[in-house]
Amino acid sequence: MELHAVAVLALAVVGFLAGGLGALVGIGGGVVLVPALVLLFGVDIRIAVATSLVSVVATSTSAGSVYVGKGLANMRLGMSLEIATTLGGISGGLLAASVSPTVLAALFALMMALTAVLMLRGKDSHPPPAPARARIAGEPEGHEEVGQLAGSYFDAHHGALVSYRVSRVPLGAAISYCAGIVSGLLGVGGGFIKVPAMNLGMRVPIKVAAATSNFMIGVTAISSLFVYFARGFVHPYLAAPVALGVAGGALSGTALARRVSPKLLRQVLAGVLILVSVQMVLDAFGVNLGR
Amino acid sequence: MAAELAHHDAPRREGIWVQRLLRGGLALSVVLMAVGLAVQLASGSRYAAPVRMFDVADANVTTGARLMALGILVLAFTPVLRVLALVLLWAKERDWRFVGVAVVVAVTLGLAIALGGG
Repeated sequence: MELHAVAVLALAVVGFLAGGLGALVGIGGGVVLVPALVLLFGVDIRIAVATSLVSVVATSTSAGSVYVGKGLANMRLGMSLEIATTLGGISGGLLAASVSPTVLAALFALMMALTAVLMLRGKDSHPPPAPARARIAGEPEGHEEVGQLAGSYFDAHHGALVSYRVSRVPLGAAISYCAGIVSGLLGVGGGFIKVPAMNLGMRVPIKVAAATSNFMIGVTAISSLFVYFARGFVHPYLAAPVALGVAGGALSGTALARRVSPKLLRQVLAGVLILVSVQMVLDAFGVNLGR
Repeated sequence: MAAELAHHDAPRREGIWVQRLLRGGLALSVVLMAVGLAVQLASGSRYAAPVRMFDVADANVTTGARLMALGILVLAFTPVLRVLALVLLWAKERDWRFVGVAVVVAVTLGLAIALGGG
């Protein structure tokens, strides 16, 4: 594949937009990146998935570092579920080589439509109410217990440290295995599966679940990325500008998040995802309305 | 009492160590990818070719592609180092249950790396 300087710049811009949108509406950039690479640049979907996984590792490493610093990510819980997600990631990576690009595109379109529905149903994130007791300077936002799957986090609404204990670990592990397969097969972080699994299935508070999911995604993604490396699907000249763009976009998106209406953005992006998912299916069958 | 307090504060120290490691790995990877991209663009080479994990040192790989691939490898190995760091940090806390869990994750990642090299 030949890439002129303009194409490299366009890749970085696409990465920037994917990273920015992802940070603004709270989804990973993969769901935007893969269809953009396939439909706009004519990249093979398996190379697009490998490229997306590189970006997923970059954003997760960045977000994960923030959440562990704050004490919000429960590292013992994350590590426990990583046994299942890494096995799922390897399975997904191996499966991708044997699944035809048409089936892969159809699966990706299905996941995009599902993400669009979840985004439309998502509630608006209002600024948290003022805490009854301000956090003491230097006090971490969360804490995990040594030797067990439990912890506490600072709840701004109640102005207190709320304790939690993780339950139904086998259920969470089973769902995490599926999240790993989806990540490896489609090049996405899989947070939209892990967060509800932890929150609804394992009774982990949503704030801790989201932080722990971000912490885990990097390890999940590399388990399949190594498999894609072996199969020759990692093209550094393609992946590097996209990953650099995504990293810059994610930083800018985080800074902009407070100024833009998340509800409007979610509606626009959900509409775009539905249209692109239809185009992905048509493209897989050789029909492209955009070219 | 002091030992109990130190034990209670351990997860926070672990978090700070992990944060430093993740940030350092990410920064090094971004620098390598950016320099590699600049070298590739300056060389006038337009061909985007795949690079397999253990072919980074191969003579046929251009300097730009090699640096970018190295950046991707540093990025990919940063979470692996995070798992290994937690094995050591939890062993220091004598949290053997989670040392075992982290070792299983490390072994699984080792399997993925072996598949990547194969």
